[in-house]
Amino acid sequence: MSLSTALNIAQSALLATSRQTSIVSRNVTNASNPDYNRRLSMLQSDAPGVHMVSIQRAADMSLFRANLGAVSSYEGQASLRTAIEAMTQAVNGIDSASSPATAIGDLYEALQFYAANPSNASIAERAIDAARQVVRSLNNGAAAVNAARSQADRNIAESVADLNGLLAEFKTANDAVISATIGGRDASDALDKRDALLKRISEHIPISTITRDNNDMVITTTSGATLFETIPREVSFQAKLVYGATTVGNQVMVDGVPLPVGTGGDTNSAGRIAGYLQIRDQIAPTFQAQLDEIARGLISAFAETDQSGGALPARAGLFTWSGGPGLPAAGTVSPGLAGSISTNAAMDSTVGGNAFVLRDGGANGAAYVANTSGAASYSALLLGYQAKLDEPMAFDGSAGAGVSASVMTYSTNSISWLEGIRKSADQAELAKSALVARTSEALSNATGVNVDQELALLLELEHSYGASARLLKTVDEMLGTLLALAD
Amino acid sequence: MKTTYVSSNAINQALRYSMLRMQADLTKSQKEMSTLRVADVGLALGSRTGLSVSLNRDVARLNSLMDSNALASSRLASTQTALGQLADRGEDLRVTLAAALSGNADPGVVRDDGSAMIEAMTAILNTSINGEYLFAGINTDAQPIADFSDPASPNRVAFDQAFFNRFGFNQDDPAAANITKAQMEAFIDTDVVPLFTGAAWSDWSSASDQPIVSRIGLNETTETSVSANISGVRKLAMAAVLSGRLMSGNFNEGAIAAVVERSLGFVAEGVAEVTDQRSATGVAETRIKNATTRIEMQVDLFERNIGDLEGVDPYEASTRVTALMTQIETSYSLTARLQQLSLLNYLP
Repeated sequence: MSLSTALNIAQSALLATSRQTSIVSRNVTNASNPDYNRRLSMLQSDAPGVHMVSIQRAADMSLFRANLGAVSSYEGQASLRTAIEAMTQAVNGIDSASSPATAIGDLYEALQFYAANPSNASIAERAIDAARQVVRSLNNGAAAVNAARSQADRNIAESVADLNGLLAEFKTANDAVISATIGGRDASDALDKRDALLKRISEHIPISTITRDNNDMVITTTSGATLFETIPREVSFQAKLVYGATTVGNQVMVDGVPLPVGTGGDTNSAGRIAGYLQIRDQIAPTFQAQLDEIARGLISAFAETDQSGGALPARAGLFTWSGGPGLPAAGTVSPGLAGSISTNAAMDSTVGGNAFVLRDGGANGAAYVANTSGAASYSALLLGYQAKLDEPMAFDGSAGAGVSASVMTYSTNSISWLEGIRKSADQAELAKSALVARTSEALSNATGVNVDQELALLLELEHSYGASARLLKTVDEMLGTLLALAD
Repeated sequence: MKTTYVSSNAINQALRYSMLRMQADLTKSQKEMSTLRVADVGLALGSRTGLSVSLNRDVARLNSLMDSNALASSRLASTQTALGQLADRGEDLRVTLAAALSGNADPGVVRDDGSAMIEAMTAILNTSINGEYLFAGINTDAQPIADFSDPASPNRVAFDQAFFNRFGFNQDDPAAANITKAQMEAFIDTDVVPLFTGAAWSDWSSASDQPIVSRIGLNETTETSVSANISGVRKLAMAAVLSGRLMSGNFNEGAIAAVVERSLGFVAEGVAEVTDQRSATGVAETRIKNATTRIEMQVDLFERNIGDLEGVDPYEASTRVTALMTQIETSYSLTARLQQLSLLNYLP
């Protein structure tokens, strides 16, 4: 009896060893798969001498959660930083070279030359050209800001579509986990797949998870809206194709609850969608308002005043706008002004105007002519415009770049505002990417595969396999000896 | 036995992340080393970027002020020279008139000198630079002084008409010999003087009273031209016309004495006033020079500030590049060694 028992035990040992070997080979194959969790083979003694191999999956829920959180904040920060960077470059150019501030500085210089040579037609044209440059810079800036907003809007739509797809996939993975758990089968592969999906979902939106009976998982956003419970909940978003200065974008609804928007350059927006929402609804509109204020400042600095003593209202001079020749309301943002500002046709020779009108006044009729004698070297108006550019005026505080400053200073304040956000976004991105790297490393260390260890295990298994085989052979020899005795 | 576990993937990833950071730093440092300026001003200065833009813009503005100041200076220098010539000619006329007053000079000499003075004045006051008339005030595209030597010129016509209206005949009429000293004095004081000081001066000059005003500093403007309408010029013109047109041989001694006395008075006042104007012009020249010096100092200061904001210490930048390169090389060889560090290599 005992010899056949020994034979049985050796046989089951061989079986157990080969199963363990298969697990080792699976681990080694997936050594570089970041979504793979190491499998551990557990030997259990059932009946005396009989070994069962059960598979355990290495997991560390708290590290996994920390990693999901880090991924969310990093993705939110990175999407914000990228969008700010693109917008800064489109509006202000490299080192602020094409910013309104620089263009206004050039205009000031051109006015200086014009005031020094008021009779020179080509220098007058150069001043008008500098004004055209300012207009271009503001028009392009306004267009770039709108483009940044509609780009963010499109990105949100893509992200939402992706997210809905991922949630649908998540249902399949979750169902597989539940059925494996109920059926008592090995759920490791299904769990790997489900965890990988969670990582991808957290790139779009910050999540927290709750595990229920039978490994069923519920996903909610960190703000509490349900994303998945047995079935995926709907994430809905209505994209807008075109953005203007007054366009208000639609909210992203998760299960009927709007997704909150974060604040700050080192943003508390987590997940890509929140990052895009922040650029679309906060940063770009504020910057747009600043450009509008710069445009308003320019229009009022170059306004023509009544010279006839008839108390006529001031009218738009060198710079005018879609609502001209009246001036935009003082002290408050006129949305879309940066997009509609233009040079006055009366002074622009490309549309039949005369650059000397800037020197003499009178774009709005004879009452506004300051140089009544038509003297060729009249410079008083030009000197006045120059001084106006440096004179403090009232700006709308809601635009966030100060309330009282000269147009010159306000335009550089706006650069400071944007670059300040960009700098803190860039630094925060660095910190957050380091956190992702660190938590991924910790997670990988806790749940990943070490090839060396697996190889060592393989050596061990080889020996145990050899020993079991030797045992079989010995028992076989012993049985042979026994049978030979019986002959 | 439980030991600290390290996954093979984590080992590779950790190196990869730090490698990426170092390479990004290296490109940034290389750029800084070659330009001696921070690689990205916005990222380096953040909310102080506006200050750097504003300083750069101010330097450009100040440089343009220096250019336009050079232009204004050259205009003032030409004005100064022209006024000097005017005063010299006035002085010559004064000497001749003084000689005539003491009875030593032939009226013909005075007349010739007066006519020459008129021509010289017209030429000097109609000087132009860069197509702009120097003494035209702001009305620089019109020649300021009408040519008195041309008989059809409005100022010549007005003067002769005034004479005719007063006496009923022309200067060269034989009857002119009967004009008394008192009559001549009355003619000069009541008829001639208004031609030069009143609205009739417009027959002489199309210049504007308004001088050219230039910005010479960010907050400073000054007058940078002299108009032909200043009182000194009018008096010199009056003296020249009197001595040039009223020294005809037909006049008696009394009338000539009246002309010489009055001319001498006007020319002396005129020379003194033009000289005053020269010193005023000198003051403006000095103001521009001082403003330019101040601007130069400001530019220096601003450029230093820009350097402090955006500049990079070349020594530090180059040390950083060297250090990063060493680090990256170490990292490379470490990666290579780690790749070899596998149990696989030691198994038979």
